[in-house]
Amino acid sequence: MIARKKTAIWIFFLIVAAGQLFPLIWLVDFSFNSSADFYSNSILKWPSSPQWHNYVNAWVDGKFLKYLGNSLLVSVVTIALTVVLSLTLSYAFIRMQWKLRSLFYTILLLGIMIPIHATLLPNFAIFKALGLTDSYFGLILPYTAVSVPLGTFMLSGFLRSIPKELEESALMDGCSIYRIVFQIIAPLLKPALVTVIVTTFLNCWNEFIMASTFLSKDALKTLPFSVMNFAGQYSSDYGSQFAVMVLTSIPAIIIYAVFNEQITKGVTAGAVKG
Amino acid sequence: MHRVFRNKTAIFLFVAPGMLLFALTFLVPIIVSGYYSFTDTLAPGTKVTMVGFDNYTNLLFHDERFWLALRNALLLGIGFIVIQHPICIFFAILLDRLGGKAEKIFRTIFFIPCVISVVVISKMWLSLLDPTFGMLNKLLDLVGLDSLKHAWLGESSTALGSMLFILIWAGFGWGLLFYYAGVKGISEDLYEAAQLDGASGFRMHLKITVPLLKPVIAVQLTLAIITALKQMETVFLTTNGGPGDSTQFLAVYLYNKAFSASQYGYANAISVLFVIVCLLATYLSNRLTRNDATDF
Repeated sequence: MIARKKTAIWIFFLIVAAGQLFPLIWLVDFSFNSSADFYSNSILKWPSSPQWHNYVNAWVDGKFLKYLGNSLLVSVVTIALTVVLSLTLSYAFIRMQWKLRSLFYTILLLGIMIPIHATLLPNFAIFKALGLTDSYFGLILPYTAVSVPLGTFMLSGFLRSIPKELEESALMDGCSIYRIVFQIIAPLLKPALVTVIVTTFLNCWNEFIMASTFLSKDALKTLPFSVMNFAGQYSSDYGSQFAVMVLTSIPAIIIYAVFNEQITKGVTAGAVKG
Repeated sequence: MHRVFRNKTAIFLFVAPGMLLFALTFLVPIIVSGYYSFTDTLAPGTKVTMVGFDNYTNLLFHDERFWLALRNALLLGIGFIVIQHPICIFFAILLDRLGGKAEKIFRTIFFIPCVISVVVISKMWLSLLDPTFGMLNKLLDLVGLDSLKHAWLGESSTALGSMLFILIWAGFGWGLLFYYAGVKGISEDLYEAAQLDGASGFRMHLKITVPLLKPVIAVQLTLAIITALKQMETVFLTTNGGPGDSTQFLAVYLYNKAFSASQYGYANAISVLFVIVCLLATYLSNRLTRNDATDF
């Protein structure tokens, strides 16, 4: 009985998964076809000769390596800043005793609700005045500011569930508060930290609208712009456009494949603690 | 409580950098936005003339687009709540029942669209729904339903629905993951007890799982409404609000007003109202789903 039910779920999921992934399969399939093939009647089409030059176009004219480098740099610095700031903030909010903490906590959490799009216009004016447009910091600062409220929220939830005894005995041993946070608490928060890292990564890796508002210099652009540039340059070469979409999606998919177990663990741990 | 936990220097060092960054790139801009919203500036750096509340009265009383954008967000939010979230809960329960290796595999697969960038998602769906070479219309041809063919994103009657579909496709994995985490937190004993009492299947989950998921649902519903209000990139990259404002959203509207129509002052007024609407929606949604576990 139970085995039969499980098989039924299994088959149902298989169908849904196939449907869900079908657009992506279609994308990969047609990235190997020539533009003429797009107008044939078939839903999927085995390319008569795989158009590898679509990928050559994507790699060369999509400036894949340059944009990848920019995306990596911006993401890594943003993640590092987000982790340190969220860790210290959540520790101060959950463990330390001070007067304004619940007020500050509420203000910070408003950041999850306030749309970044409402900050685009004024930040554009401010960054322009400060010379931050067309610089890496023009992206890193707002990306970090967006990620810290969510990061602090996730870490705070997890921190509440960790018993205080460990810190208290560390204090007895003469450990400083800074060592407690970075050497005792940080390792304990590992599942939540990984979730923060992965969500921050996905957010800034795929972010588009701030980058397109604050950047105009080609040398600084991030990976989504490979796709954007192509839409103009290769507007009628659909095969190459699809190739660049596939190519730019690969890094995030690899990262996901590596960390996928940790994402679930982190979210599950956070949610159970509520 | 140890005195170290009241150490003022440590608290300052822990809080100041993060709060300062947040204030400077989030709160101060909104105040700057407030200032510009009382002007008729064309672009940042150009002549500034104060116009008082003109922008606001125009927006609230003479601008149909503003209200249309809000209506679209509301419709989208209802779409998320009525379609996406029940599906996510349903799948989360099934996934939890599956167990073993298959559970892990499907969990991984269902999340894949969530790691694809919004630019790729938008461009891909623009192609999939393309009236001439798009896959959906070809599929309809294939099964003989060619009477249902549409220029999905190009007709005002189907554009918003198509947008909802794209967003559900892209966001399904996250919703599933959060509900799945919630389901995992429910003790197995409860199900065993229920089974002893003769409850099973669909009814059991309706009576046990769903009520126990209430805290998760409450948070998720608030987020659904906020997500609907905040909609921007996918719309901007596919329909840019059209055709005929049928997919107009506040963020798209303010962006185009500022950078295409050169009405920077007016756009900032939209910006300010946008923040107020989001905070109001959060507050209302929290009140409606009031629960101890929702400390948002």
